[in-house]
Amino acid sequence: MRAKITQSKIWMLAATLALISHSAFAQTGGAKPASGAPANPASGDAANRANVLRAAANALGMIRWSDIGAGPVHLPAIDAVNTMRIRATGTVDQSADADYRLDLAYNPPALRVEIAPKGAAQHTIQTVRDKYAWNESEIGAGLVPGKGTATPAMADVQQRLLQLWTLPYGVVKASLAAGDKTTVSTENGATVITFPLSGTLAGVTVKATLDPKSLVTKVETRPDNPALSSLVTETEYSDYADHGELLTDVKSPGHIVEKRAGRPVLDIRVKTVDANNPYLVFPVPPNVKAAAPAAK
Amino acid sequence: MRLHGRCFLIVAGLLCLPAAMLAQGEPGHALIARDVNSPPKPSGATPRTPDGHPDLSGVWNGLGDGLTGIPNQMANDGISVDSANSSHDVVNGAKIATFPLTKRGQDDEKAERAASLLRRIGANRPVYKPEYWEMVKNNDENANEEDPSNNCLPAGIPRGGVPSYIGQTPTYFIFIYPGLGGLIATQTMYRMIPADGRKHTPLQDLDGTYTGESIAHWEGDTLVVDSWGFDSNTWFDQIGGYFHTENMHVIERLHRDGNTLTWTATVEDPEVLLEPWTSTPRVALLNPDPHAILLESEPCSERDLGHIVTKEHH
Repeated sequence: MRAKITQSKIWMLAATLALISHSAFAQTGGAKPASGAPANPASGDAANRANVLRAAANALGMIRWSDIGAGPVHLPAIDAVNTMRIRATGTVDQSADADYRLDLAYNPPALRVEIAPKGAAQHTIQTVRDKYAWNESEIGAGLVPGKGTATPAMADVQQRLLQLWTLPYGVVKASLAAGDKTTVSTENGATVITFPLSGTLAGVTVKATLDPKSLVTKVETRPDNPALSSLVTETEYSDYADHGELLTDVKSPGHIVEKRAGRPVLDIRVKTVDANNPYLVFPVPPNVKAAAPAAK
Repeated sequence: MRLHGRCFLIVAGLLCLPAAMLAQGEPGHALIARDVNSPPKPSGATPRTPDGHPDLSGVWNGLGDGLTGIPNQMANDGISVDSANSSHDVVNGAKIATFPLTKRGQDDEKAERAASLLRRIGANRPVYKPEYWEMVKNNDENANEEDPSNNCLPAGIPRGGVPSYIGQTPTYFIFIYPGLGGLIATQTMYRMIPADGRKHTPLQDLDGTYTGESIAHWEGDTLVVDSWGFDSNTWFDQIGGYFHTENMHVIERLHRDGNTLTWTATVEDPEVLLEPWTSTPRVALLNPDPHAILLESEPCSERDLGHIVTKEHH
């Protein structure tokens, strides 16, 4: 009897130790654990900034990992958002009832906006990639001889790129990329991220407000040069959900309201979002490359 | 006393189980536990055959990963995870924000959705003519129904990627691609590739096949395999819905550096592509076991598609 009790105790010990061992592996996966402490938005230090930005990325479903078929390889999580299509309806500029399609990519940075006012024969397609902006008479115009016209619109490069970087995903990516130039503060009880944009948008500062779930709810942009009024924007995001027909666990706003230089330019309700990194490409038409002063 | 000794062994054995699980895998494959997917660094000298060319022969599965697994597919898509804090796109150098994991474990549905995203984040996408953009997008989003290689049909070329085995003679090469079970079950493929100076058969005289007609030649120390004569019933990469026509022309380049083999493929198909597309370089590691062999693939039997949550490959 005494031997049996000892045996059963040892079995329990063995099972417990084995479970501890498995749990420890499952927790760390061999990677250095990050701090799980809640962020203190007011401190503004590097650890706090990292926690706030990680929380913002996480709230949007950007931080992803998967071990399917991984075998002995256990990778860290990465920012999994690159391309996306947003379909919406609402008020766009002066059109009260328009279909709005936004195709975007962050690597390389590109965006194509198609606006089709209901009942109107004309629709507009505005595209930007890196240093090039152009308008398309049809999707992909100017790439194949005889298939549509691509009209260079270099003056709009900054304003169009700003649309990309003021979307919630762009805010998180750009604030991470800005490193220690990004500051975190508290305004009226809400966490606020402030950071400068770079490259073509150098000289523009972004201020983004997060809600208690760390979702981006308001984005304001201010250029150093006050003459660039088209870069003074204020965008509000709300009604976040996974709007995909293919569910991705990437959250997107269901309602977007934007003002540019104080003037309302967008008030749209999102219908669907393809956030599954869909096939979206933005090749620059040869005539646009040739026309661009940025290409010299 | 003897009982305590046995129990101690059991405890020790259970404690070691996770490490043992890491080291197991398919027989004949060397498994290397890693937390990065960046290409392996070459080591050792590059052996040469008596005719002076690099010796490409061997079993090229030294990393032992599942070819359809997340790390390889991300690498194939051009994302190099270099450490717990840094990743970059191989094609354009763009930095990808990277976050050390604070936990592991997620349900299958979340893991599948994450996998779908992770396998599609690279910048290196073939550029089709605009009239095919929506078709490619729809192919990819419905790949679990639309992929012509579903249900154990051959993956084709260049989707087969780096051959798992290369046999080399002065006048021909043998490439073997073991069949894959799992998510995208495909049939075993082999290719016998002449390198005797012959020219291609005129395209119009060829009946299209999954691996096409291939001929090889050396450009310096790089083996160039030139293929045409395909049927159109394959996609040319594992992920993406990248269809092609019967006029596809594929140029593969294989370069050995020590114990690594770097493979790229360039796809030309001017009927549907706006410009030729070159795959992200894939680097295979020689199986370090000098006695390594390829085991027979299990008979291909598609059993996963009915259980998959996503409509696209993940």
